[in-house]
Amino acid sequence: MRGGLILLVEDQDDDVELTLRAFSQSNIANEIVVVRDGEEALDYLFTSGPYADRDPSLAPSVILLDLKLPKVSGLDVLRRIRADTRTRRLPVVVLTSSNEETDVKASYDLGANSFVRKPVDLAQFIEAAHHLGLYWLVLNEPVT
Amino acid sequence: MNETVLILDDSLTVRMDLAEAFDAARFRTLPCATAAEARELLAHEAIDVIILDVLLPDADGVEFLAELRSLPASAGVVVLMLSTEAEVRDRVRALKTGADEYVGKPYDARYVVSRAQELHRARTRTAGESTTILIIDDSATFREELRRACRVSGYEVLTAETGAEGLRLAATHRPNAIIVDGVLPDVDGGTVIRRLRLDAALRSTPCLLLTGTQDRQAELVALDAGADAFVRKEEDIAIVLARLAALLRSATSAKTEDTRSLSGPKKILAVDDSPTYLNELAKLLRNEGYDVVMARSGEEALELVTVQVVDCILLDLLMPGISGEETCRRIKSVPVVREVPIIMLTSLEDREAMINALGAGADDYIQKSSEFEVLIARVRAQIRRKQFEDENRNIRDQLLQKEIEAIEARAAAELSETRAVLVAELERKNRELEAFSYSVSHDLRTPLRGIDGFSRALLDDYQDKLDATGVNYLRRVRAAAQRMGELIDDLLELARVGRTELHRDHVNLSSMAEAITTSLAQRDPHRHVVVEISNGHEALADRRLMMAALENLFENAWKFTSRVAEPKIEFGTYDQYGVTVYFLRDNGSGFDMKYVEKLFKPFQRLHGEDDFPGTGIGLATVQRIIERHGGEVRAEGTVGGGATISFTLSSAFPPVTA
Repeated sequence: MRGGLILLVEDQDDDVELTLRAFSQSNIANEIVVVRDGEEALDYLFTSGPYADRDPSLAPSVILLDLKLPKVSGLDVLRRIRADTRTRRLPVVVLTSSNEETDVKASYDLGANSFVRKPVDLAQFIEAAHHLGLYWLVLNEPVT
Repeated sequence: MNETVLILDDSLTVRMDLAEAFDAARFRTLPCATAAEARELLAHEAIDVIILDVLLPDADGVEFLAELRSLPASAGVVVLMLSTEAEVRDRVRALKTGADEYVGKPYDARYVVSRAQELHRARTRTAGESTTILIIDDSATFREELRRACRVSGYEVLTAETGAEGLRLAATHRPNAIIVDGVLPDVDGGTVIRRLRLDAALRSTPCLLLTGTQDRQAELVALDAGADAFVRKEEDIAIVLARLAALLRSATSAKTEDTRSLSGPKKILAVDDSPTYLNELAKLLRNEGYDVVMARSGEEALELVTVQVVDCILLDLLMPGISGEETCRRIKSVPVVREVPIIMLTSLEDREAMINALGAGADDYIQKSSEFEVLIARVRAQIRRKQFEDENRNIRDQLLQKEIEAIEARAAAELSETRAVLVAELERKNRELEAFSYSVSHDLRTPLRGIDGFSRALLDDYQDKLDATGVNYLRRVRAAAQRMGELIDDLLELARVGRTELHRDHVNLSSMAEAITTSLAQRDPHRHVVVEISNGHEALADRRLMMAALENLFENAWKFTSRVAEPKIEFGTYDQYGVTVYFLRDNGSGFDMKYVEKLFKPFQRLHGEDDFPGTGIGLATVQRIIERHGGEVRAEGTVGGGATISFTLSSAFPPVTA
């Protein structure tokens, strides 16, 4: 498994904890950076604000993006990612509670690579995380 | 394109004279001398105006007119009759048969042409579009026969089976005429006509009442209801058509009179018992450009004014029979006609008679011995006065009309404002509802994930620190959280089914059922259920919603057959009085028919959660999906004897006749 970085954009503590746990149980040992809202996600990606000193060449291998976020919404973050030449090719997986059709459509319309609904059952979530890790970190050849 | 006038007169002089006058007015002229020639021309040419002589070598002019009026092609053509006959009876007969105008010979060619133009303009204004007939009759056979006959005659036809349906169609389509059967299953024909007469927009629609009886009362009933005409059903359908054509014609000519120009050619009715004086007077008036109608008595004058519109009446005071004074009184007592100015003529200096005449309503008087110029001046003055009055009335009417239009426009604006407010309110409510279910879908699930996730984490990492009871409790916490998640999902699905748009498509329900049962079998590999799905059940339905409905139904059947020895599920269709009924039958645990009502209500469950797990929302969702399709769903079952869920799409279950 490659050592790419995973950016997790998630405001709920419980979800962060469970997601990290799910990844570790799936034997995904990649470094996971957690940001708590849309603004922080954008700061991280575009090396601004608190992340001004970050090495911009270290782009995440995959972004796991919640839709319901404080400040800047998940869909807006996705829109900004796709609009910027530096980030437009980054794989983005939308990871959210709802499977409202409007959310699914909007996500794909804005260029999400995948849409995963967070199941209530943790076992299913671990399985989903496992597939996510395998696909985006192992099988998918990133565009360089 | 120029209008075409057919001039039918056996006199070459008249034909040439009129042809020349109509030519000058840019008409295309078709002169002919016999009715036979005219028929030939009518069959091949589009004709706008017909000038018809009363005396023809091969026919009677009025009879030929009746023939013209019975044919849809010429029923609406403007017909001006020409006649040397000064007899009032001929004039009345011709006008009653459907002549638009009746001009005596010697005629004034300019008058004939300008009157023809005036009538034609009025006709084309009112008869621009096709003629629509509404037929209301509960007998399908008669309705169809009449419909076909009307179509052949070139009418557009609407049909209704009941009075209520007929009234609805009349309001929406504004037909040009209505044929209604007297006896109908719901609202009878008389009542239909009465209701039409109460509706401002439909009040003037001509109505023909059909009666099935020989009852003499029928006519009274028809006229009492306000029917314009009535025909017995057993009479020839051609008679119905002829009456219909007459109704339509009088409806358009009524409008013609309304639109008659104030400055158009004028017609004067001269009434005198002396033919010499009458002829002399007529000649002088014609030279002044007036058309003159002559009557020899008060009786003739009274008969005439009911069918012939005139602009001024010259009335002899002393006549045998009904006197001038009495004639004047009677004319002045009839609405509409009373507005025509009457000038009394007298040969004697009888002041008292004059005063009586003026008392009877005459507008002016003149002595026969007066200079003709004086007479003409008075006639002109009276006609001008009448014209001013008409103009004033028109202006008043227009003002009133504008006021009414303004009020209507205001009402319409208010209505659309109210509607806009309601629509906005509805949209707001819908948005609120969407936001609510969106938030349910997002936010209610998040804490559940925490409950389930951390319970599982406890079970995974700290199981050695818990005893069997503790482990059991944590499992129950997880089960409860997951069940709550299912409930939320099912509720959201139920809400979504109600608000998503329906996209109908050709859906193969059989292959859909196959796919569902295959996936159920894969999920439950240890179970052996006999599944029988008959092939090729296509439906015009929403694919996504039907998938959800069938999934629910098959999951139920799968679930409730889990405790029987030889589980069996059957899906098929049958025809019930032309309606396709789909059914899904199982031999599972079934239910008690006394609780059948509860089955389709959300959260109603007929089984304990321990026996058969479920949220109790599935069948409510199925019912909503079926109802969205305009169908109906039913359930039948016995305890331990299995259940059958049947449904229709696009129509309800037909009533079962005992």
